[in-house]
Parts: sequence; C-alpha cells; structure tokens
Amino acid sequence: MTHIAFMHGNEAAAEGAVAAGCRFYAGYPITPSSEIAEILSGRLPEVGGVFIQMEDEIASMAAIIGASLGGLKSATATSGPGFSLMQENLGFAVMSEIPCVVVNVQRVGPSTGLPTKAAQGDVMQARWGTHGDHPIIALTPSSAQETYHLAVRAFNLAERFRTPVILLMDAIVAQLKEKVEVPDPASLQIVPRAAPSVPPADYKPFPFARGEVGPLAVFGQGYRYHVTGLLHDEHGYPTEDPAVVSAWWEHMATKLDAHLDEILAWEEVQLADADLALVAYGGTARAAAHAVTLARSEGIKLGLLRPITLWPFPEEAVRRLAGQVRGFIVPELNLGQIRYEVERLSAGRVPVEGLHRADGLQITPDQIVSAARAAHARDQA
Amino acid sequence: MTYDRHFATNWQLLLDAICTTMMLAPEREPPIVLSSLADLPYEVGQASGRAPLSFIQGPPGRNIALAIGLRAALPATPLVLIMSADSVTLGTNHLIHAARRNIGMTLLLLRSDVTAGAAPGSQDRMDWTQPYYQPDLESAPAPLAWLTALDAALVGRASLRDPDGLAELIHTAIETKGFGVLGVTTDARLEIGILSRSEWPEYFDAYRAWTAGLAAPAARAAGAAPARPARRVPRCALRIAGLGGHGIKLAGTVLSEALGRHEGLWTTQRGEYGSATRGGPSLVDVIAGSDPITYPGADQPDVLVLLSQAAAQRYAGSERPGAVLVADPGEVDPLPPGAAPVPITALAREHVGAPIAAGMVALGCVAALTEIVSLTALRLSLAGHVPQRLVARNQAALEAGYAAAQAAREGAQHG
Repeated sequence: MTHIAFMHGNEAAAEGAVAAGCRFYAGYPITPSSEIAEILSGRLPEVGGVFIQMEDEIASMAAIIGASLGGLKSATATSGPGFSLMQENLGFAVMSEIPCVVVNVQRVGPSTGLPTKAAQGDVMQARWGTHGDHPIIALTPSSAQETYHLAVRAFNLAERFRTPVILLMDAIVAQLKEKVEVPDPASLQIVPRAAPSVPPADYKPFPFARGEVGPLAVFGQGYRYHVTGLLHDEHGYPTEDPAVVSAWWEHMATKLDAHLDEILAWEEVQLADADLALVAYGGTARAAAHAVTLARSEGIKLGLLRPITLWPFPEEAVRRLAGQVRGFIVPELNLGQIRYEVERLSAGRVPVEGLHRADGLQITPDQIVSAARAAHARDQA
Repeated sequence: MTYDRHFATNWQLLLDAICTTMMLAPEREPPIVLSSLADLPYEVGQASGRAPLSFIQGPPGRNIALAIGLRAALPATPLVLIMSADSVTLGTNHLIHAARRNIGMTLLLLRSDVTAGAAPGSQDRMDWTQPYYQPDLESAPAPLAWLTALDAALVGRASLRDPDGLAELIHTAIETKGFGVLGVTTDARLEIGILSRSEWPEYFDAYRAWTAGLAAPAARAAGAAPARPARRVPRCALRIAGLGGHGIKLAGTVLSEALGRHEGLWTTQRGEYGSATRGGPSLVDVIAGSDPITYPGADQPDVLVLLSQAAAQRYAGSERPGAVLVADPGEVDPLPPGAAPVPITALAREHVGAPIAAGMVALGCVAALTEIVSLTALRLSLAGHVPQRLVARNQAALEAGYAAAQAAREGAQHG
C-alpha cells in the first residue's frame, strides 16, 4: 500500500531507483548528490544488489555500462564536475545502446564552482556533453514526489529505448525535504530487460529497424556478440562503409523521435487563458508556479509551461504557446540555456525574456512577478 | 582456427591462446574479451568478434572499470582484458583500484615488442625506453613490478613464442580468484611463468558474503496513513533563524513532520545550515498547507522566530503584515516591533543544559502563538527524531517554550 514518507529529492531518487529495479550502483560521492550514494550503499545490499564506490566518475560510468551488459539495471549519481568526467563513457553507452541511468544533481559551475549552491547550468551538457550527434533523454523533477516517479521512469525509458537516461536534478529539489506518497511497489509499471526471441545464430544485437530498438542479450546466456565504440553494423562489427554508417544514423536519429508521445512530459499551469507564459523547470518551477498565483491575484494572466522531459525538448508545446501568448519569460538558474530553445521555437513571433542567475541564490516568486508586471505593462502600452 | 602458427601474427597467436583456454576448461563459460582500438589493430578487433567469444571494444583504459561492472553482474564469466601501453597509461588509476580490491579479471599486458610501435610509456621494463619523439628521456614504469607491489592475486609473464604455455598461463590466471595480470612478450631474455601470488578474497565474493544476511527492515515498508484534516489551511510559511548549535535543523524536521504526518498537511522543509557546526548562521523554512506546496521559501514568513542578533538584522521586517513574530530578548536588541519576547536560549539552557534545544523551545512558541500546529503533534513528531533518553528533556524544552510564549502574549494583551 501507499505510505507517507518525508524525503529530500536525493532520497527519493535513491528509493525510486530501487523500486525501478536498480541493482547496481557505482559512483563517487560529490556534493550535492552524495546522499544518493550514501542511501544506496545501505539499500542495495538489502535487496540483493551491489553498491561499489569507484575511484572516480570515469570508472563509475564504465562500471554501470559493464553491469548493464551483464543484465543488471544500473545507475550512477554525480554533480557537474563528475558529470564532465562521465562524458567519455556516456558516449560509449549511447553508441553501443546500453541502458543505464545517470543522476546529475546540478550545482554552480563551471569547474568546482559553488559546490553547495543550486544551479541549472548543465542543461546543455546533458544534451550535448559527449561528442558527436546523438539521441539522449533527460528528465528533470520539481519535487521529491516527482523525483521518485521520474527515477522509476528513467529506468523504464532506458530499457525501452536502450539508451542512457539522465535524471537532471538541481540542488533545490535534491536538498528539499517534503512529504512523499510512496506507491505500493506492486502498483508501479516496470519495464524489464527484453530478452531476444531468436536463437543465438540469428541474433542481431544492434538491429537497424527504423524507429525501433531490438533486445539486448545479457552476456553469459548463450548469446555472444561484439560491442564497440566504433561505428558498427547490426552485428556490432566495426565498419567504415558509408551505406552502413548512414543506416546506423537513420536508426539512431529516429529511435527516440518516432516515440515522442512515450517520452515527452510537461505540465501546464493555468495556460488556457494565459497571455504571458513562464517556461520553467526543476526547482525553479516551484517559484514560477507560486508566481502564477501571485500574478493572477494582481490581474495578470500568467501561466506556466513546465518541461518534465527536458531532452528531447517538448517543442510542439512551446510552438503552440507561441501562437497564443504575447510573450515568454524563462526563469532558470543559468545564463539562458532553455531560453535559447524557447527563442528558437517561438521563432520571433513573440518576445522571449530570460530571468537568469548563476550566483548561488535561487530565483524568488517576487522576482518572477516583477518581470511579469513589466511585460504586462509593456503589452498594455 | 586453421592458420599455421609459424606464419601467424602476434595478434592471431594471442587470440588463439584465449580460445585455447576454452578447450582447457570446456565446462567454464566462454570468456568475454575486452580491449580497445589503442590495444588491437582495427582488423583484429573485427576478426576477434568472429571468434567464439564475446568481445567488447571500449574506450582505451576504461575496460578495467567496465569489467568491474561485468564482474558484479556475472560472477562466473572469465573476463580477459588485452591492454597495451596506451591503455595501461590511460587506465592506471583503474588498474590500481581493481588490483587493490582484488576484482576478478585477467589482464594481458602487451609489451612493446608485441605491439611493435605502440608508445612505450608503461611497457614491461627491460631497458630505458626511447619514444621516437622523445629519445632518452623516459624511464618506463614497470607495471608487473608495481602490480606485484600492489599484491595482485597473480602476476606472471608469458611468451608468444610458446603459444601452449601462454594458453596455460592465461587459464591459470582465469582460475585464480581475483585480479590476475600477465605480461605478454616475445623477448627471450625475460623470465617466463608465475612471478608472484597473493592470497585474498575476490572483492565481490567478499561483498556477497557480507551482504548475504541483510534484508530490508520490516518497519520501512510500514508507515501510518496520514490524518486528513477537516480544516482547510492556506499556505503558511514558517522561518526559524539563528545560529549553528541552536538545533534548528532538527526543529525543522520535527515541525515539518508534525505538520505533514500528524496535522495531515502538505509540507516542505529547506534550510541553510552553513558548514560550521556551531556559530554560523542557520535557518530553516517550513511551508505547510492543504494544497501541495509550490515555492518552498519563507521569504515573507507568516511565522518568524529570531534566535540571534544576526538573524534579526537580516530577517526582521521581512515578515508578512500580521505575522506571528517571536524574538529572544536575551540575544536580540532592540526587539523588532510586534515581537513576542521569549528568552529562548535561556530556557534551552535551563531545560537541556545547552543552547542545542533552542529549536525545541522555538517550536513550543509556534504551537502557543499559531493555529497551524498543536503541541500534541509536535510531541509525537519529536519522539521519532531524538534518542529515547533525550525525549523527556526535549519535551520539557518544547513545553517551556509553549508556556513562555503564552505568558508573553498575555503580558502583551494586559500590558
């Protein structure tokens, strides 16, 4: 049965991971994500899983890829400096289509930055951090409750699409303790590792089925195959044949895009009659939602679009809004990373204003309301 | 394989030896071979995939860490890593950790006479090495020597000139529990065979033995259903601000769980506790209400408790008009207008003997001066968050705060 717990976001991420079937965690603790490692070091042994503290984040990322190839649902957690170190092996997981989950609790960067202060500066790193074009999924929670559910969803999407999934948190949500209704584990939808239905001789580990992914056979169960970071054919053997490479690209470019209805999630707060829209996500969306209430009490028709799936970005939702509202305000704890997306999608139809800070302080509802007032006055003039 | 060994390349000999280990132990699972483009030529990587084994061509040097994950998932599958100098250099950190943890894998370190042309940064030392672009500069680190020093479970050296001996040594390394490493050479001057052994448990074997008896505590799954209040409570923002050592974080936890579990409200708790255990500024914001909480900050609190002069200077006046304001007259001077004076720190000293209970006294004040939380709910919550031996004293602090705040209010009404 559902029970009530008081958890901060990091604990919710750890508990959600366990509920989703995570049975291997390799990581190196780093503020503000360390509680995830601390909690899983106790929780995983209780459920027959394995926790290992690695020598660094490069090794952590490599180890979860190995464990996933061995059939265990696997995750690591870090913050910006560690996320930078993970990019090499993250690309390997993308290339070889190995499911895994990476939690990044964002703090102010670049480099060591402000270790204890919340930020949302890794949004573009989550999208493009590893080199080369590639599909990726990033989910961003706004509450401890949502963190729990998105942790479960991250593992499900990783299995469904054979891809690394990034749970992109920020220190606001990670450190915020709140009431969480923990669902009965039996009520959760869990996507298991798909097993091949063909005999080993007919098995293609990397099929190029446009828009679909094939099952990843677990090593040690009779299926032998080749896994490589090189561009490869459907059997996993490296190739430089442009025709095969093109087929690979077509597969990779479509494997998420053909299923956006399964992947995209966002919340709309009072957008139906809004003539001014906020686009905010993660911890900042909490201030934005409160600002909507405050602004409406002053007669400003403010609404909020809150992306939950950050990558792929909910493009149609923004395009549609750009035809409805007279302007966007994008509050975020960086210098404008999602503002770029909103500008791109509104394509000059309406003004897009950023409300940015990266000084370690959080954006308050009052700051957002002030920006809304100014935009409202401009519209009235 | 059908080639004639006399004409085989070093690479073919190596892969042939790995395949031969499968014949030496037909019952054993076939090995997974891990290597990288820095270790094996492109064509060999391709051909190796057609040998009857699984092959992972990972980022150079990272295969050791990748193998750790594989080993956690697959306790019985042989993991054979082929590494040349470049990979050893990139992965030295991983090599040391895997060796010291004794994680079960077999490393084949190729000496530069095998790789013929790879950068010699970490080759099995015989002479001074001479990178063509930096002649006479470097002395090679000798991996077999330092893996011996690291107490690797098995350290040996094998020669490609003796393919059967090579296969047998690889087989022995696979059978060895834990981390085994073989230098592979063609140099006839080097000693061949097992160079050292060290006995200790394989890491994941030890881990599984250690965790075998663990199970989730039964209590974790249980949990009281929340009380559902009949009343409707609008968003209420509470802030308690003072110094490290005032027990403010604990007070926030007790308050938010009293509100969430016993008063049936939605709650959030966030804090700024500073990095010093005592003396630095400390603050907790608790928000509660009938609806889920959006913004978790108490920038304009409905209830504000000030425990220190610094807190008063920073936050007095930030409260909403009509807010409940409490300040400690022993610490805050002058008292902010409208503040109920309660000697919070003095009461904490009196009932617990230290300022650490100031947070509890503050909660008593909140219960006395607001409708949001009852003393009963705070008592229930408190019992779950302090050790049994400290419950009575903390309850006394809570009740002292309650009584003192009531007296302060009556004093204000009558004065």
